[in-house]
Amino acid sequence: MALPLRYSFRNVLIRWRSTFATVLGIALVVFVFVLLQSLAAGIEKSSGNTGDPRNILIVRKGSTAESASLISRGNLREIQYFEEIARNERGEPVISADVLVLVNLPRSDGSGEANVLLRGISARGVELRPQVRLVEGRWFTPGKREIVVSSRLAKRFANFGTGQSFKTGTATLTVVGWLDGGGSAFDSECWMDADECRSIFERDLYSSFLVRPASEAAGVKLLERIEADRRFKLKAEKEVEYYRRQTMTAAPIKWLGGFLAIMMSVGAVFAAMNTMYASIGARTREIGTLRVLGFRRRSVVLALLIEGALLALIGGVAGCAVAYLWNGYTTATMGFETFSEIVFEFTVTPRLMAEGLVFAVLVGLLGSFLPSVRASRLPVIAALKSV
Amino acid sequence: MSAPHIVTIRELSKVYRQGEINVVALNNISLDIAQGEFLTLMGPSGSGKSTLLHIIAGIDRPTKGVCRVQDIDLTKLDESGLADWRNQNVGFVFQTFNLIPVLTAFENIELPLLLTRLSAKRRREQVNTALELVGLAERQKHLPRQLSGGQEQRVAIARALVTDPKLIVADEPTGNLDSNSAQEVLGILQMLSRQIGKTVIMVTHDPKAAAFGSRSIHLEKGELTN
Amino acid sequence: MTTVGFIARNALRNKRRFILSVSSVAVSLFLLVTLQVALRELTNPINDEGSTLRIIVRNKVSLAQPLPARQLPTIERIPGVAAVTPFSYYGGLYKGDEKFTSFAQFAVDPVRSFDLLSDAKVAPEQLKAWAADRTSAIVGRKTAERYGLKIGDRMQFTGQIYPCDLEFKVAGVYEGTADDRNVFFHQKYLDESLGDPGTVGTWWVKASSVEEATLITDRINKAFANTSAEVRAETERAFQLGFVSMWANIKILIGGISMVVVFALLLVTVSTMSMAIRERFRELAVLKAIGFRRRDLFAFILAESFGLATLGALLGAGGAWLLYGSIDMQQLSNGMFLMFEVTPQMLALAFSIAAVLGLLSAAAPMLGVARTSVVQGLKTLD
Repeated sequence: MALPLRYSFRNVLIRWRSTFATVLGIALVVFVFVLLQSLAAGIEKSSGNTGDPRNILIVRKGSTAESASLISRGNLREIQYFEEIARNERGEPVISADVLVLVNLPRSDGSGEANVLLRGISARGVELRPQVRLVEGRWFTPGKREIVVSSRLAKRFANFGTGQSFKTGTATLTVVGWLDGGGSAFDSECWMDADECRSIFERDLYSSFLVRPASEAAGVKLLERIEADRRFKLKAEKEVEYYRRQTMTAAPIKWLGGFLAIMMSVGAVFAAMNTMYASIGARTREIGTLRVLGFRRRSVVLALLIEGALLALIGGVAGCAVAYLWNGYTTATMGFETFSEIVFEFTVTPRLMAEGLVFAVLVGLLGSFLPSVRASRLPVIAALKSV
Repeated sequence: MSAPHIVTIRELSKVYRQGEINVVALNNISLDIAQGEFLTLMGPSGSGKSTLLHIIAGIDRPTKGVCRVQDIDLTKLDESGLADWRNQNVGFVFQTFNLIPVLTAFENIELPLLLTRLSAKRRREQVNTALELVGLAERQKHLPRQLSGGQEQRVAIARALVTDPKLIVADEPTGNLDSNSAQEVLGILQMLSRQIGKTVIMVTHDPKAAAFGSRSIHLEKGELTN
Repeated sequence: MTTVGFIARNALRNKRRFILSVSSVAVSLFLLVTLQVALRELTNPINDEGSTLRIIVRNKVSLAQPLPARQLPTIERIPGVAAVTPFSYYGGLYKGDEKFTSFAQFAVDPVRSFDLLSDAKVAPEQLKAWAADRTSAIVGRKTAERYGLKIGDRMQFTGQIYPCDLEFKVAGVYEGTADDRNVFFHQKYLDESLGDPGTVGTWWVKASSVEEATLITDRINKAFANTSAEVRAETERAFQLGFVSMWANIKILIGGISMVVVFALLLVTVSTMSMAIRERFRELAVLKAIGFRRRDLFAFILAESFGLATLGALLGAGGAWLLYGSIDMQQLSNGMFLMFEVTPQMLALAFSIAAVLGLLSAAAPMLGVARTSVVQGLKTLD
């Protein structure tokens, strides 16, 4: 029969002064783990959230990113009249031929410069991306050197306010509005007219085509058709798929988070072990008494393991709670796929917090394992005799 | 009329190693203890009296010889067998009380019952009975640190009684008590033997405490004297 | 028995706790040092002796925007310029690599570029062979070794940035630079494969002297101001630092984590070491009773806690230094990390943290010793 839970529970509470440091240590480890993973989760969330499930994105075969892809106008001329592409009320094909340009601009806090992703879109470009809304000002006028920037980027770069202008290369672009990408990769972009973009940056070639197929079946046909045609050397896939696969930025952060957590937890396990040895060491007589009363070794081990786990769990809860304070906090870093500044939020998901708690409990269990076993191994008499 | 012997010890020896030396704690002890006796084991420090007590209580094993309690040969039981046996058949009272600091008096007394299959209701009844017996019903919700030494020891006796064992074993139970509390505790032990029929075996070096018992035996250097 | 022996014996009395305390210090300092090394590796530009003389010229729009090839003569004529070469990052995927290729490939003008790669050591006949064959390339020794490449072997790349796949013949191997991983090939070959767009990625310029370097960057910037392709010329170091500033957030992150690690470490170890010493209160009281003075006891306590912390630092920081000095990080990290070495500053930091640790964990016990009288101390049972 097992020792009552309240035995373990009360022992944790009563020794809080000496175990405080260890609990705090575990809290910190969990905090770092959850925070880093929430960074990665935020990046993945914004890329996973990007795109309209109906759309198909066409890039050059072999290019790893849209921004590195180059497609010719000849390709556009051919593809835009494919029957698989939907037509709008005016009979125009719903296709946007985009140009992606990286522009180096000064930050608003004067801390240097960073690359910003500019997307030149065609007339259909906005309607193909319904998740993007205008939150201030107006859309750019085709034929004019106007630009709509992401509201999230607006705070971070100089001269991104509506009505302001900035110079890049030979051109001056005027900000006429702010867009909100709805928590997607578009929150890190600035949009302007594709033709203006091509002329300013001397781009003969397009970066990508975004297409709305006439139907689901037409979409499948389109994918096959582009894949099969060797002249094109193009790759077509569902827009949402393409963005979901952009994991290059999140991957190293996840890895770092995992690595750090493991290393720090080694220290935490040592700490927990030390704490438990001390706490159990002061209770050998108590443990001996329990054995005299008839409690088996394994009941003793279990009760002590539970104590260790509870201790660590308290630390884990604290760590998660503090990490949660950062939930939703917006930050930015250089994305590895586009080499431009990407904005995203720390996303502390319930799953992450659960992982943090499990992690803490594991640390506690590992740390209390040896001390508990050792305590239970003591011959009863030795336990009774100890001071 | 002689009561049946509850404890039968024949040629019991205990030798243990301390570093490089073999220490003979008990040397060929033979002893019978009748049911209902209040036996005191006396002797100077290192005489083996505690060792003998431990063996009778099933906490230690002899190196040679036999110890039968209620016809059960303790030396034949394994670790878990002994644990179960202790739980049902022995109540132990320590010099240092050994109450669990984080449990209340009630919970401390209830501890041995948690190893049985009794329902919570039955457990409560038995704990209350034990509390009444030692006169501490009104202190059942107190933690050990809120009790005086004498009260702690009384709780310990209640704990020793709660599974209704035949044998109560006490190792210098009054060693850490002032004389008033000591008297109280010894009185309870005596009552347990005389009125309730428990067999009480007590180790003590204090002749005044020994006077409460019905019989005294002396040990010196591991052997019975007198 | 000497004093040191006494202290040592005391510390080792509870072997388990001793090992645990030292280990937690060691692990945390190891982690701290590793973080610092990784951070340095990722954010510190590689330092070449020649780099002080070199200038990178890129399109003012961004690094991703090409420059017109016709700018070359203008730059050559600028006073103080010793040499100019096109320098275009091709960034292809090497055949056989799955997801990414960890070494860079650059299109250059072979004859001009060798002035710029002043520290590189190549056999002169290999240089000649390279210059003569438009589809050839010279390869850094580290990459050649890693893939087992010999002169005459072919290397195939898929274009990830440029829409053309290229194949080079290995004409030579270079070594002696700070980054012996790169592949250099002909800009003309790239031009041909692209249909002669008339552009280059960047210009790589060598100044005739260090003093001239900054002046030259100004001159180059001015030379192309108000043209259709304005430039940003900066010294190689400034260029690399600019790159690094884009990583600003990562640096802060890692810096922040290092602080967290140090703090957690302090907390835990201080408390465990204090616990250890507190347990021996009675003994310390006995020593006092025997006649040792308070400051002797302080010395004992300090010596023990410093000893523990220093031992942990030796194992952790020292261990990291030994480990990273002996492994080939480049191999292990698939080319991501180049050097991965522990600098003296990092070691110094680790040991100072250990010292602070030693001090802090001795503080509480010392206070206790100071305040408790002999009698009280002797009464302490547990």
